[in-house]
Amino acid sequence: MNNINHSNSGVLLKLTDVVAGYGSGMVLKGVNLELKKGDVMCLIGPNGAGKSTVLKTVSGLLPPKEGAVVFEGQNIAGHTPKENLRRGIVHVPQERSLFPGMTVWDNLLMGGYLIRSRKVIQDRIDEAAHLFPIVTERRNTHAGSLSGGEQKQVELARTLIFDPKLILLDEPSIGLDPKSRRLVFEAIRGLATAGRTILLVEQNARSGLAAADQGAILETGLVRITGVAATLLEDPEVARLYLGASTMTRPPAKTQQEN
Amino acid sequence: MHTLIQGIILGVLTGGVYALMASGQTLIFGVMKVVNLAQGAFVIASAYLAFSLFTQFGIDPLVAVLITTPLMFGIGVVGHWLFLRPLRSEDANQLSLLITFALAMLVEGILSMTYRTTYRSINTSYANKAFDIGGFSVSAVRLYGFIVSCVLLIVLYIVLQKTRFGRAIRATVQNPQSATLLGVDSVRVKAYGFGLGISTAAASGSIYGLLFPFNSGSHYDLISRLLSVVVLGGLGSIGGAVLAGVIIGVVSSVAAVTWSPTWSEMTFFVVLILVLLVRPQGMFGRVERGAL
Ligand SMILES: Nc1ncnc2c1ncn2[C@@H]1O[C@H](COP(=O)(O)OP(=O)(O)OP(=O)(O)O)[C@@H](O)[C@H]1O
Ligand SMILES: [Mg+2]
Repeated sequence: MNNINHSNSGVLLKLTDVVAGYGSGMVLKGVNLELKKGDVMCLIGPNGAGKSTVLKTVSGLLPPKEGAVVFEGQNIAGHTPKENLRRGIVHVPQERSLFPGMTVWDNLLMGGYLIRSRKVIQDRIDEAAHLFPIVTERRNTHAGSLSGGEQKQVELARTLIFDPKLILLDEPSIGLDPKSRRLVFEAIRGLATAGRTILLVEQNARSGLAAADQGAILETGLVRITGVAATLLEDPEVARLYLGASTMTRPPAKTQQEN
Repeated sequence: MHTLIQGIILGVLTGGVYALMASGQTLIFGVMKVVNLAQGAFVIASAYLAFSLFTQFGIDPLVAVLITTPLMFGIGVVGHWLFLRPLRSEDANQLSLLITFALAMLVEGILSMTYRTTYRSINTSYANKAFDIGGFSVSAVRLYGFIVSCVLLIVLYIVLQKTRFGRAIRATVQNPQSATLLGVDSVRVKAYGFGLGISTAAASGSIYGLLFPFNSGSHYDLISRLLSVVVLGGLGSIGGAVLAGVIIGVVSSVAAVTWSPTWSEMTFFVVLILVLLVRPQGMFGRVERGAL
């Protein structure tokens, strides 16, 4: 019953006063965040702010110490990654997440590990291949011998095997050249157009915000600013503090995203 | 020349058995980063089981494999649950060495109490039979043992490469966090992986019991040989363990026929020390590259 209320308001994920940390220290000190169904939200902030930690509390890799993580109206704080995966939350971590010694194909099959029907997996792989043709072109290649950009594409394709309701992407553009980076952001837009809800963490803040509907800025374990991504991009104060001052004097042109 | 080839044949046959034992050991390392010092003890335990099944029920040791393999798998899963699972992951690497050693002692203790410490051997009707193949004498026990080992290695390969469970094991080996994020229950995979590794001891034990007299203390000698094989192959690499098993089998058997049996015994330790000095990651081991 709760479900209905929340899906009416369109909120898919809501974090309320989430406190989390490793060992005794607190990394997140009361994070509040709200993500609407079908939106892409980009979370930015300095190194060590706790961005990855936010994603971990949502996927279940790190149980929060306090606060609520509400997904589709249900508090899932402290649930395991497996349980959350079954609910439709897929987390692509910051570190490389493919299995390097397995073929691209086997990696995709692992993306459907919890799906028992081989037919369903096969269909989803076919769908994913529309967006990421590489997965069929290189299906027998060992994932470890793909380039960083190619691996990212396989990682993104793999998230689709689960037909997720929420995709958590931790710095998908890290370490990529401008061309691969553009491909990744195009892919994210493609996923968004297809109606996926995405929580994106990005160090390339401008490109990240440009690909997003909503933006949030995390600093020292607290969400400082939230708002429409395009507005944040044009806010001179935000630009000065968080985006680097390069285009502060000019209004940022939306098409020039390479930095 | 004839003795040399004879030695090589013998070495390949024996090496196949080492390959089987070592594949289980290296699998366990791959899945859990645990050097399982109890692997030899489980081989000897399986030899005793085969001995009992043979003397009590007349079941051929090579047929007994059908019984002992699932049994050893179960013992492995339970052993993991009791002794290894409770370890906190931060302590696991150091403590697991002590724990598997303690497990070896425990198995040895149980065996000495049950069977005393007199040496046993399994004397089947074909124990002394030998085939003449192209002028070379091939003992039936070694040939059968080799065939059984090959079959089981192939089964192991298929399980790991072609099944969902096998993919989960490989995934956990290559990237544990990522496997968890895709819904793999790492505790269960580790338990079953440990079970699978221990289950290779069953057939190895039957064959060991057919080849050599053994008592409860035989596992010390065995585990040091296994460690040489596994280290040469590269810890965690099953292909490496198989190749290393055959290489060491051949080298030691050739040393025995061309030089002296004493040197044959030494081969294992010479190999171990050389590998550790020259190429500690072994033939196929990876130098910590994120994955393994
Ligand atoms: N596994 C861990 N164990 C202990 N401390 C950790 C762990 N992971 C992160 N931390 C600490 O938590 C803090 C926040 O880390 P987090 O990875 O969430 O930051 P981030 O915003 O993602 O940074 P970056 O931009 O560098 O990826 C850091 O101070 C870090 O040292
Ligand atoms: Mg991070």
